Amino acid sequence: MADQTADLLFEIGVEEIPAPAVLPALSQLERLLADGLAEVGLGHGSVSTWGTPRRLTIMVRDVALRQTDLEQEVKGPPAAAAFDDEGNPTRAAEGFASSKGLSVEDLEVRDTGKGVYVFATVSEPGREAVEVLPEILHDAVASLSFPKTMRWGDGDFRFARPIQWILALLGEEVIPVEIAGLQSGRVTWGHRFLSDGPVRIAEPAQYLSALGDAYVIADHERRRKMIAQGAREAAEEAGGRVRLDPELLEEVNFMVEYPTALVGRFDPRYLELPDDVIVTVMSGHQRYFAVEDVDGALLPLFVAIRNGDEQGLETVRRGNEWVIEPRLADAEFYLTEDMRTPLPDRLESLKRVTYIEGLGSLYDKTMRLQRLVGWLCGRVTQVEQDHERHATRAARLSKCDLNTNMIGDTKLAKLQGRVGAEYARRSGEPEEVALAIGEHYRPYSAADEPPATTPGRVVALADKMDHLAACFRLGLRPTGSADPHALRRAAQGIVRIILDARWRVEMPAFITEALDNLPEIDAPGAIAPEEAGEQIEQFIAARLEGELDSRGVIYDLTRAVLGAPCPDLLDAFDRALALRDIRARNEHAFELVVIAAERTANIVRGPKAEEDLQLDPEALTEPEARALYSAFAAARETLRDALAHEGRRDYEAAWEALAGLREPIDTFFDEVLVMAEDEHLRRNRLALLAEVDDLFLRLLDVQEIVFEGEAD
Amino acid sequence: MTLQEIFATLDRFWAEQECLLTEAYELEVGAGTMAPDTFLRSLGPEPWNVAYVQPCRRPADSRYGENPNRLQRYFQYQVIMKPSPQQFQDLSIASVEALGVDPVQHDIRFVEDDWEAPTLGASGVGWEMWLDGMEICQYTYFQQVGGQQCRPVTVELTYGPERLAMCLQGVEDYRDLMWSEAVGYGQMRFEEERQYSHYNLELADVEMLSAMFEMCEAEARRITTEGLPLPAYDYVLKCSHLFNLLDARGAISVSERTGIIERVRRLAAGVAEAYVQRRRELGFPLLDDQAAEAAS
Repeated sequence: MADQTADLLFEIGVEEIPAPAVLPALSQLERLLADGLAEVGLGHGSVSTWGTPRRLTIMVRDVALRQTDLEQEVKGPPAAAAFDDEGNPTRAAEGFASSKGLSVEDLEVRDTGKGVYVFATVSEPGREAVEVLPEILHDAVASLSFPKTMRWGDGDFRFARPIQWILALLGEEVIPVEIAGLQSGRVTWGHRFLSDGPVRIAEPAQYLSALGDAYVIADHERRRKMIAQGAREAAEEAGGRVRLDPELLEEVNFMVEYPTALVGRFDPRYLELPDDVIVTVMSGHQRYFAVEDVDGALLPLFVAIRNGDEQGLETVRRGNEWVIEPRLADAEFYLTEDMRTPLPDRLESLKRVTYIEGLGSLYDKTMRLQRLVGWLCGRVTQVEQDHERHATRAARLSKCDLNTNMIGDTKLAKLQGRVGAEYARRSGEPEEVALAIGEHYRPYSAADEPPATTPGRVVALADKMDHLAACFRLGLRPTGSADPHALRRAAQGIVRIILDARWRVEMPAFITEALDNLPEIDAPGAIAPEEAGEQIEQFIAARLEGELDSRGVIYDLTRAVLGAPCPDLLDAFDRALALRDIRARNEHAFELVVIAAERTANIVRGPKAEEDLQLDPEALTEPEARALYSAFAAARETLRDALAHEGRRDYEAAWEALAGLREPIDTFFDEVLVMAEDEHLRRNRLALLAEVDDLFLRLLDVQEIVFEGEAD
Repeated sequence: MTLQEIFATLDRFWAEQECLLTEAYELEVGAGTMAPDTFLRSLGPEPWNVAYVQPCRRPADSRYGENPNRLQRYFQYQVIMKPSPQQFQDLSIASVEALGVDPVQHDIRFVEDDWEAPTLGASGVGWEMWLDGMEICQYTYFQQVGGQQCRPVTVELTYGPERLAMCLQGVEDYRDLMWSEAVGYGQMRFEEERQYSHYNLELADVEMLSAMFEMCEAEARRITTEGLPLPAYDYVLKCSHLFNLLDARGAISVSERTGIIERVRRLAAGVAEAYVQRRRELGFPLLDDQAAEAAS
């Protein structure tokens, strides 16, 4: 019997769930159900999940129809108490046996090593799957988490959207479960308009095809392909090529159950609008795909995905064309109004726009950016004179689009920077300046690229560092996962820009400059600049750790690298990658060197450490000490040469030099007693070790390295 | 279908669902939600089902009457059901069908659009209802109103009758809409839009409006503490409208904005609290006796 199985089908019918919530909910559902089944010992086969705006579905194939019987051994009283001297069972043995539903003859006596005891073997028959599943299903639904949940009616159950029905089948049998006041059944619902009445599911395997007949493509992978193909064909037929923005495709996919693509047109005069604006108006408001010609230029067309079939397609097309018209008209209105004032002339008006409460206006911020850009340009060798001119100009204009009508429209606000770039062009600014304005907010996300031009990089760095300085100074550092001022993104941006450009920017100096640049701050919660500076440095270092982690640098090495003085982010980055490779090439050799260096570090930084040590090489008497000194002096030379050239620091050679110290160190420790009675001798030996330790610290803090099997 | 036929059809439809048919509130409001029949009635445990047409003012949407579907004064057809019935979404679709829309020949969709009214301390979860890409309704489950959790939950369906009529009449500009068989929307209202747009965007006296705002705010506070939430709420609505006018004049900076919204929100929260308090004193008259006992 135990090997009998059936498919489990579970569908939660809902009022339209927000598109971005569907996939995360499905993967949670899969995990919750798998965990639930594992916990009760119900085996199963493959799992599929399917989602539409109106349903979250999971199918678990070959679920065992009953749990395996459980045999459990229960320890009873000591044998001495259970049997008398003649070996007859006592009252204690009888009581124990009957409490387990057994007779005394069923008890066993065993030596546990900690005494001889009586044992009973209790077998618990496995329960039917259909008995244990209701609780598992209920708990899974109740445990689903969404970015936002709601209540409805007079109930207290919370879900992403009101639940409308529950379908729960194990084979042909309904699993009885009650969720949010609804009783499960074998009924689902097809397309809201194209299908008539409830759809009865006799057994799980029928689900997809039964829904297909009811005009619901429940399998979202298949639906996505249908949308992509439909959109391509529709655009081709109209003489264009659809721009299948993957994010939009994903969103649209979870807004329809039965997709049909159609092409609509808009007045070609709107092509005068910036491309970004047209595309955002279409995708943001209406979820239309843009259509371009063979050269990639926008056509006055769009592809919309309708939730339905071909019926009334002409009506639907006309409706969609009407809707986009006034939205484009709004954008046109903004453009005309905005262009009355050339971008540079908007600077003054930024005085009236607050940046962050307590930190003056956007005008003040702009002035700070210009100064910070100037500072950066003076320090980054790759920045040439032209770059500086363009970056300064771009910084001056960078915030001027923020009080335009275009950016004032909440659905277009995300085009900040890009609208500024377009307006700068139309106001006659050089292309380099426009580009820098356009990319100074980049990277927008982990998936986005950092700015590509030198002026763009400079302005982006200044903008982000000013933002960090301002917010940390005001005590607005992120707590937990909340980061309302997007400070993590800003710090991440700084790290990525610097690594991408391979610039050397002295981080503490940059941070101090940005903090000094701020106005007097007298707000509740504000913290001192020195403290803010330290926090920012750590905050940025944490983002660098993330970058290193994504490149396979193990955490202890990251800490070791960051534990040594870091002149700049790029140095730390390169050093970490070099050491990662060195360690990977010969882990054992790496360990031996680190162990030797650790012995040194443990003494000079340990509890017996002494201050104000002065090395006097001539006073080193023992041959081992003299040998260590001369090895150290040679390594110091090699290291100096290897790390001398900023552009190409040779960390491999530096490491080789340090590795050469291993033997002299080990020999020294074997033969010389560091903690000599004689103070002069002792302090001179400690001084030597301190010098060696300092030399290692040029590359890493060996005390941070953790070896396999060693506790952290 | 003319606009007045749309109103009459919706009235019939929702009356059959046992909604009271009431009239609009007579003060300027930015949305039907702000009328006391929604804002106040969604507070507390008492059931409430109602439908009404509410004229709304949004000075920032002034376009001199020239934008084909943006108006500074327009209408909302407002339906409120509390507690929200399980089949409300089906009802919302059936009401659109009652207007002669065959869903098979159109594309009707519910697109995520959660709602938040910071000045009312209110928020909800819901959708825009799309007809062929055009937003014709807002469909919202209130979660919080006046800073209070909604128990039970009120559901709100707000139709944009002009938009709906444009779809039904197949016109692309509100000026071509027919209010009745004989009179067009543009004939009735174009001049009004023109005049108010000039006033809202160019001429409204900022200093006077600011002073009025201060006065109304003080009065709202005073009357709330007197235990008269209903007249106090009138002054909250006036504050809200004055704020909208000042905003349309571009007289409110980003930083001031947050502050003013917070001030209005506090007034609304005070009224909401006083309102529930008063209903409790009255024994929640719209509840049946048993439920009233349990609630108090």
